[in-house]
Amino acid sequence: MINLTIDGKALQVKKGKTILEAALANGIHIPHLCYHPAIKAIGSCRICVVEVKPGPPRPQPACTTTVAEGMEVITQSERLQDLRRELVKFILVNHPLDCPWCDKAGECLLQDLTHELGIDVVDYEAVKVPPHIDYESRLIERYATRCVTCGRCVRVCRDRVGASAINFESRGYFTELGCGHVPLECEFCGTCIDICPVGALINKLFKYTARSWELTKTKTVCPYCGGGCNYEVHTKNGHIHRVRSQGSLLLCGRGRFGFGVLEAPERLHQPLIKKDGQLVAATWDEALDYAARGLKEVIDNAGPDALYGIGSPRATNEASFLFQKLIRAGLGHNNLDSPARYNFARALAGIAAVFGEAQVSGVALGSVKKGVYQSPWEVQEEAKGSGFPFVLGNAHHLSHADVILIVGADVTPEMPTYGWRIMDALKNENFRLVVANPRKTKFDRYANLNLRYQPGSERLLLIGLMEAVLEAQPGYSPHLEAEGFEDFKKTLLKTSLSKVAKQAGVKDADLRQAGKLLAQAQAPAIIFGHDLMAQEQGQDNVIAVADLFLLIGQPCNKGSALYPIAEKNNTRGVCDVGVMPNYLPGYQSLAEGGGAFAKLWGKPVSDKPGVTLEEMLDQLENNEPEAPRALYLLGGDLVRLLPNRQRTERLLQKVRFMVVQDAFLTDTARLADVVLPVAIHAELDGTYTSTDGRLGCLQAALSPNGTRPDWQIITELSQRLGYPMKYGSAPAIFAEMVQLMPIWAGIKEGHRWPHKKISVSLNGKFVPFSTEISIPGEGKYTLIVGKTLAHSGSYTTHAHGPQTIMPGAELKINPADAQALKVNEGEPVKISSTQGEITVPIAVTVEIPRGVVFLADHFSDTPANLLTSNSNLCRVQLQKG
Amino acid sequence: MMDVERLETILTQYEGYPQDLIPILQDIQDQYHYLPKDELKVVAQRLNVPLTKVYSVATFYKMFSLVPKGRHELRVCLGTTCHLKGGQRLLESVSSHLGIEPGYTTADMQFSLETVGCLGSCAQAPVMMVDDKYYARMTIDKVTKVLKLYKE
Repeated sequence: MINLTIDGKALQVKKGKTILEAALANGIHIPHLCYHPAIKAIGSCRICVVEVKPGPPRPQPACTTTVAEGMEVITQSERLQDLRRELVKFILVNHPLDCPWCDKAGECLLQDLTHELGIDVVDYEAVKVPPHIDYESRLIERYATRCVTCGRCVRVCRDRVGASAINFESRGYFTELGCGHVPLECEFCGTCIDICPVGALINKLFKYTARSWELTKTKTVCPYCGGGCNYEVHTKNGHIHRVRSQGSLLLCGRGRFGFGVLEAPERLHQPLIKKDGQLVAATWDEALDYAARGLKEVIDNAGPDALYGIGSPRATNEASFLFQKLIRAGLGHNNLDSPARYNFARALAGIAAVFGEAQVSGVALGSVKKGVYQSPWEVQEEAKGSGFPFVLGNAHHLSHADVILIVGADVTPEMPTYGWRIMDALKNENFRLVVANPRKTKFDRYANLNLRYQPGSERLLLIGLMEAVLEAQPGYSPHLEAEGFEDFKKTLLKTSLSKVAKQAGVKDADLRQAGKLLAQAQAPAIIFGHDLMAQEQGQDNVIAVADLFLLIGQPCNKGSALYPIAEKNNTRGVCDVGVMPNYLPGYQSLAEGGGAFAKLWGKPVSDKPGVTLEEMLDQLENNEPEAPRALYLLGGDLVRLLPNRQRTERLLQKVRFMVVQDAFLTDTARLADVVLPVAIHAELDGTYTSTDGRLGCLQAALSPNGTRPDWQIITELSQRLGYPMKYGSAPAIFAEMVQLMPIWAGIKEGHRWPHKKISVSLNGKFVPFSTEISIPGEGKYTLIVGKTLAHSGSYTTHAHGPQTIMPGAELKINPADAQALKVNEGEPVKISSTQGEITVPIAVTVEIPRGVVFLADHFSDTPANLLTSNSNLCRVQLQKG
Repeated sequence: MMDVERLETILTQYEGYPQDLIPILQDIQDQYHYLPKDELKVVAQRLNVPLTKVYSVATFYKMFSLVPKGRHELRVCLGTTCHLKGGQRLLESVSSHLGIEPGYTTADMQFSLETVGCLGSCAQAPVMMVDDKYYARMTIDKVTKVLKLYKE
């Protein structure tokens, strides 16, 4: 610690902090402009100058001067104020005083500085800079005249977001912000808008809708990806106008611009029931009675097992918990699952196979009553944990990893938060990044090594990497206690490295280099995502990743962990709270954990595992007697999201009675007998769990406008089904839920589970996996169905912001392939597979290798899953459309 | 339409590292007499440099231009010494001969006119440059002669 005084106040500050940081942390105000805590200080505006003793006779910028022992700092003096006044005057020479119609008014740093320094006259004149205003760019308007060239946006875009989409152009007095003399073509995250101290960058969705001081701010959680960003919803007169992230300012485009989904005209505000084959509007009582009657009829005729429950990663933890309680306690079986089965659940199962089931001991129910959204379980000294949840990484630690391997994931579109963490990791000069993906992704630019493998050959690549690790250091052995290493090594070495490299389509030398990096790493982390998990053999893929991690992982070092990407906001949560056929909430086994549940619920819990979503569809396909007769879907748009759309549609039509809760009349809801409109994120109270297990708390900011929260609908239905569940609010449900989940011990808002005080003892066994590689279908091209940055799931296709950036599907294709097909950019092409065909315009890009095409799966009018059969990969034919 | 081959002959002389940016831009400027948009995009992609960085560099240095320049570039020095020695009058003379203001290019795309701060040849003021050739101790009479050398 360093001792210094600022304005006579004695302070103790951590070594390495700057004077400005020390002052701000201790409530001492120093005027500043170009400094922002989210980015590196560059000291360009000089407004934060202070007098430093001992030191040079001239004032020093507080933002770049680090504290030193015995330093005396003066922040306010006549000389300093004069200097600051002059500097601000220089800015004001060119700054238009259009505050009355500038959206930044009220939260503008320049306005505040001018006021604080009492500048009433600007007695300088200079050549006017040309008023370059960019009205053309999508979602963002740029006013070069208002710019104070502080470089905040340039730095945040380059260093934190990693897009480098905006930069200074020209020089000296004529310096202005530019993006290459064209309309902005970037990630459209909008971080630059919020970091701009003035109104030089304006949010087009917010422009002229409200003054900053009229807005009511409500803290909640972003509903799009698994990143779990906290943000504030800004509302006025019951309408949402913008969202902002307070702390780091970082949000992605769908988070920042995707709020329009709340007020989308297609939203359902009234329940619908099927009458004569048509869905017609009904009152809530009518619809609930109708739904209960239909479900009851099926239960009475075919037994409670005939009702299958499908949860959704859209729903909150509380709704998901009640949902599984209704199935488990109310109906007495475990036939429930969620669409996470097709991606994240595979990750959990694969990691569990290698690292074992979740175990925790040494946690006890505390005697003190805890606050809202807090676990009553306390972590004790001797607390111990093992199993797969302890291998899952903490996003905040990702930047401490010294080697990150990204395999089968396009990180930024799938989860922007991990992208930002990688940008942070890149600041460490010993950090190495290995990116393995068939496509060129954003992080290729930053990677030390790119492995461009053949689509679908992830397991071969991973075998190659493991061999390369063993080859790099003869006698290499895992850092963790690992069973079956010798046998596994033998099987590995049966096939030569060059053979797998050839099969995977990568160079031997690259594999060897990657192996070397991974073998030398002290804290290696592996990120994997949709591309890898959504394949038919996704689980084998994950086992291969887990095996690699067992070989190289050193979880005792910060950041060394597995980072699977959960696609949706609550994909992890829905699995955590037990919407799975084989786990009770908190990944407790059905056989052992049932006691506590039965005691609290007053009903026995069946120890027979239910069928998975995949198995349930197979049962329907084969007309098995156990096949469900009724479905209760808590969202989960199966028709849109599952591979092989036609099959899903056909199978769902076999179900006699279907109840769907959703915010829109989704493709699945169209097949339902009852559709119950639900409240979504900013209309809800409750919690989400992010991919890395962090608890995010939602607060309702808007009225539900005719819709109801999921949990309320479930309680109403349960009452009508003869198993009344009564709860007054989401926190009441949370309280019951956490009481039953010792593994969530110590969790509270913003904290992650497992708790950091639980000492981890990890061990694993090497699990063999199939090395069969096959891509279904026939055709010259391999289609990869994946995610884009503009959209998340299908909800964002109802929001104006994301639609502006990407209004519809486009097939990404290599220029050479496009030329061979004689199709130009933007022209339609017919894609046909064994399952079906669709026509979409093409986007020519060198990101895609020859023979591969890429299609995003968010759009309902050109559904990508019409082409796929059981995987996100399939072979297709292309034809000029 | 972009002339792919013309650009390729420039790009293939370099290894494609980000630090090759300025030399490549210089080559393009020499050959094309400006930096065309589409070409810059390709350069950015090939060197793995953000397009904004390319523009930042291209607009920072005066030797680069984003608009087409004439076949010959005239630079009239207005540094202190040249200024004292009548640089301003020299500029006016060149300007009226070509019929363009500084910063512009003649309609036949033969000449562009620029002013510069100093050409480092103060002893021989007033100085002007045509492409990479210096013309020292210029007088208004000499302007016609010099320009004639470059007129087709």
